[in-house]
Amino acid sequence: MKFEDDSQNLRARLNVIHAAVFVILAVLGVRLYYLQVVRGDYYAERAENQRIRRLPIAAPRGAIFDRNQNLLVDSRSIYNVVLSREDIKGRDPSDFIESYSRGLGLDPALLRERFEEIKGQPQFETVIVKENATSADIAWVEAHSLENPELTIREQPQRRYPENGSLAHVLGYVGEISPEQLKQDRYKNNQENAYRPGDIIGQDGLEAYYDELLRGRDGFVEVEVDSRGRIQRELRMVPPQPGQDIVTTIDLDLQLAAEDQLRNSASKRGVIVAMNPNNGEILALASAPSYDPNLFSQRVGTPEGRREANALLRDPKTPLYNRAIKGRYPPGSTWKIPMAVAGLEQGAITVKNSNIACGGGITIGNKFTRCMGSHGSPPVRTAIQVSCDGYFYRLGLKMRLEGIEKMVDDFDINKKTGVDLPRELRSWTPSREFKARFTPKGGDPTWREIDTVYASFGQVYEFTTPLAMLRAVAGIGVGGKLYVPHLLKEARAVAAVGPFPERALKTFERPEPKIVHISPENHQIVMQGMSDVVNNGGTAGRIKMEGFEIAGKTGTAQVVSLGKDVGENKDHAWFVSVAPASQPEIAAIALIENVGFGGTHAAPAVRAVYDAYYSKTRGTPAAGEQEQIARKQ
Amino acid sequence: MVAILEHRRLRDFDWFLVLLALAIAIFGTWQIYNAQPELAYWKKQLIGLGISAVVMLAVSLTDYRKLVHFAPVFYAFGLVLLVVVLHPSVGLKINGQRAWINVAGIGQFQPSEFVKIPTVLMLARYYGRPRSWPLKFREMLFGAAIVALPVALILLEPDTGQALTYMPLLAVALFLSSVRMWLVIAALVVGTVAVPAAYIGGVKTGLIKSYQQKRIEVILNPENADRRDIGYHTWQSIITVGKGGLTGSEEAGEASQSRLKYLPEPHTDFIFAVTAENTGFIGSILLLLAYAVLLTKLIHGARRAPDRTGMLVIMAIVGGLAFQILINVGMAVGILPVIGVPLPLMSAGLSAILATSIAIGFAISIRLRRFVN
Repeated sequence: MKFEDDSQNLRARLNVIHAAVFVILAVLGVRLYYLQVVRGDYYAERAENQRIRRLPIAAPRGAIFDRNQNLLVDSRSIYNVVLSREDIKGRDPSDFIESYSRGLGLDPALLRERFEEIKGQPQFETVIVKENATSADIAWVEAHSLENPELTIREQPQRRYPENGSLAHVLGYVGEISPEQLKQDRYKNNQENAYRPGDIIGQDGLEAYYDELLRGRDGFVEVEVDSRGRIQRELRMVPPQPGQDIVTTIDLDLQLAAEDQLRNSASKRGVIVAMNPNNGEILALASAPSYDPNLFSQRVGTPEGRREANALLRDPKTPLYNRAIKGRYPPGSTWKIPMAVAGLEQGAITVKNSNIACGGGITIGNKFTRCMGSHGSPPVRTAIQVSCDGYFYRLGLKMRLEGIEKMVDDFDINKKTGVDLPRELRSWTPSREFKARFTPKGGDPTWREIDTVYASFGQVYEFTTPLAMLRAVAGIGVGGKLYVPHLLKEARAVAAVGPFPERALKTFERPEPKIVHISPENHQIVMQGMSDVVNNGGTAGRIKMEGFEIAGKTGTAQVVSLGKDVGENKDHAWFVSVAPASQPEIAAIALIENVGFGGTHAAPAVRAVYDAYYSKTRGTPAAGEQEQIARKQ
Repeated sequence: MVAILEHRRLRDFDWFLVLLALAIAIFGTWQIYNAQPELAYWKKQLIGLGISAVVMLAVSLTDYRKLVHFAPVFYAFGLVLLVVVLHPSVGLKINGQRAWINVAGIGQFQPSEFVKIPTVLMLARYYGRPRSWPLKFREMLFGAAIVALPVALILLEPDTGQALTYMPLLAVALFLSSVRMWLVIAALVVGTVAVPAAYIGGVKTGLIKSYQQKRIEVILNPENADRRDIGYHTWQSIITVGKGGLTGSEEAGEASQSRLKYLPEPHTDFIFAVTAENTGFIGSILLLLAYAVLLTKLIHGARRAPDRTGMLVIMAIVGGLAFQILINVGMAVGILPVIGVPLPLMSAGLSAILATSIAIGFAISIRLRRFVN
């Protein structure tokens, strides 16, 4: 360099700059190596994750039919107007209330409430502005897509239940899986068809019990989205496989007859169950009051729906309860049927010598417990026919507590029936522990002779579910075979779809019935007694049917002490039966809460079910069809 | 023009430098196409490239000494442009910066890109006189003033990124004009201590505003910073670069980060990320190597410059280019904050490529006259 002066170190300074350039480029190169070669796969995956979005395609849930292929529940698509937060970019959704309420015909106050609710959740993605949108609503949203890009129409498969609450307790309802449920083994361990947050699952009834069968396998469509979430193209699609359709054992005609009886009963609260005693198939199961399951499957996502659901939960009449498996009632005199059978089988009485004094009641110590009448010294057949309390007090004393406990155990009254419904409760039955546990403070916790008397007429130490009671009596009706009551007949096959294999037809796997020994003579005499109840001027004489011999037993279960049993606190009315007596085809039980005598209220309700059964099986209306007696009460 | 050239000049003409610059620019145009093939940027860039090639040749065949002689005129004209662009009736506001002038028939041009050239010439002219003594304080101040005038005007636009690119011009000019070594070392020490000290002190005392803190956090930990908001650009750029892998992403094309609009400003500020996504480590490292060769070639020319002025012109250009490469690529790979500085010869924009071409033209012109006195 001609101008170079050594004192300036110019050559060195140029070298420094040259080196600095290389250092800069080298640093950038090293960083590139790290990002692209070392971590390249990681960042490629991150890019894929933000680019590819998997949109689930909800699989249709299986439909539910009655035994005659009448459709009970199905799914259909509804369309919701949905607001997505992404597109309003920090604006307050409340700004849109006026325009939405005008365009979609909504109450502004209701919208305001919905928007207020989501304000608390900073990360909400979408909120439903209107569910079940009409075609006019959809047209409005589409016409205003420029002004309101935040609104979209979203399809949602929706469960459709009978609207009047018919069969609600059998069918149950669906709802979103809860975080707690996701942790339960049943949902956690399902590898084949994994449960994910947001899934709609059965929450009660058959929907819950057979969720694995009813649930389809969701498909999905993979789409590519841009930075604003707009779909650019479809990458691949896996179609969903529908769930299996279920055929139940329910006979809709019998069911409707039973529901009609409950709806028109005096208290409008109670249970009617009918089953085939020869295999356990439940033909009708009605519990009243009922509720609208559509509330949970459709409306519960909205504040109005939640209010409605909370009101149901708090309702003192417990409409959500399936009384057949969750209601525990004193069985009253229906208790006398297993008592009579056990008394005969255990040898406390015999067919030849079954007479026990009535005495108009019994005195133990200084306490008198009365009988409703004065029946002399009747045989067991008559004792059943007239429902003699005095007879069974003394029979209980002969059998002793141990005998009663054996009877309870033989007829599985202290166990769940095993019905295919979730959360069945176990009945409470007499025992020393039971008394000790439930005696109030200061009371006598020890089992006394008088307690054995109480335990023998179904009023104090036993609280049974109607289904357990029906199972016991139905089992007695067919000579000692106790089938597990059930509602599933079969789940239909579903063809293979895409990656999902075929799902085969599944018929109900019936457990072996429990065999209880009842000798033919013992069986016959008890059946005669039960037949006399209806056909020979007994306590349910008013429901006698020509050509269809009903054998049953009334019960009137005291709710409060005598004298106060009026109005709200009236006795529960029971009737449990099988028919025809000679070769039972059907067993039916009715419990009407707080209405009074079983013979007056419960027996006619059962008769209505038998009428429906008779005209179905015999082809003609039953002769001397009753005037809907219960309705008049 | 070639016809009037002397034979020797033609022989000494640095064809390699021209071809290398053109190769980078064509490669850049391809990346602009990759970024947004459906838009017209790459076509405009091709036209700009043609214009730039002609201008580069014209500048290289002109005697740089004449141009340096008239540097004050260019400089004054440049300052006028920088003033005029600030007026709303002339200046075009894009992304909040009033930095462009719309010229009928040509399009928008950016005075702040061009004023770098007269600024470099002014610095070289001032410090280019023969010297055998270290820089006096008065001399340093004068050089600083040369740079300060355009920088102040550019900050009014406001275009911090462009203003920053003027700093290395002064730094190189001072460094090569025998600024005292202790001043250089002191500046480096203050610089390396000040940044972390300012961060710690600023965070502790709350002197630094929270959004500035966040910007720093984005660089320190881009993955866990707010990727939706302030950290978005850096994070998306890192993903785009990383995704390229060794040989370029198979998912480029329609599914590229830029075409799905995840990567912002893909044709200008983040053109390097696009390059990295499409050509992978191999392509991007080759680009860096090309820059290394280009800058080495320029430095080589500076060493052989016929006079001190020529050497300073080339080296100031080297400093400016290297600085822009560092800021732009550093931003794309997530080690520097997001500052809008174009990548030389790569980013779309007529002003940028034209200004760079003029600068390289100067370097060739100086080299061409290395034996002339």
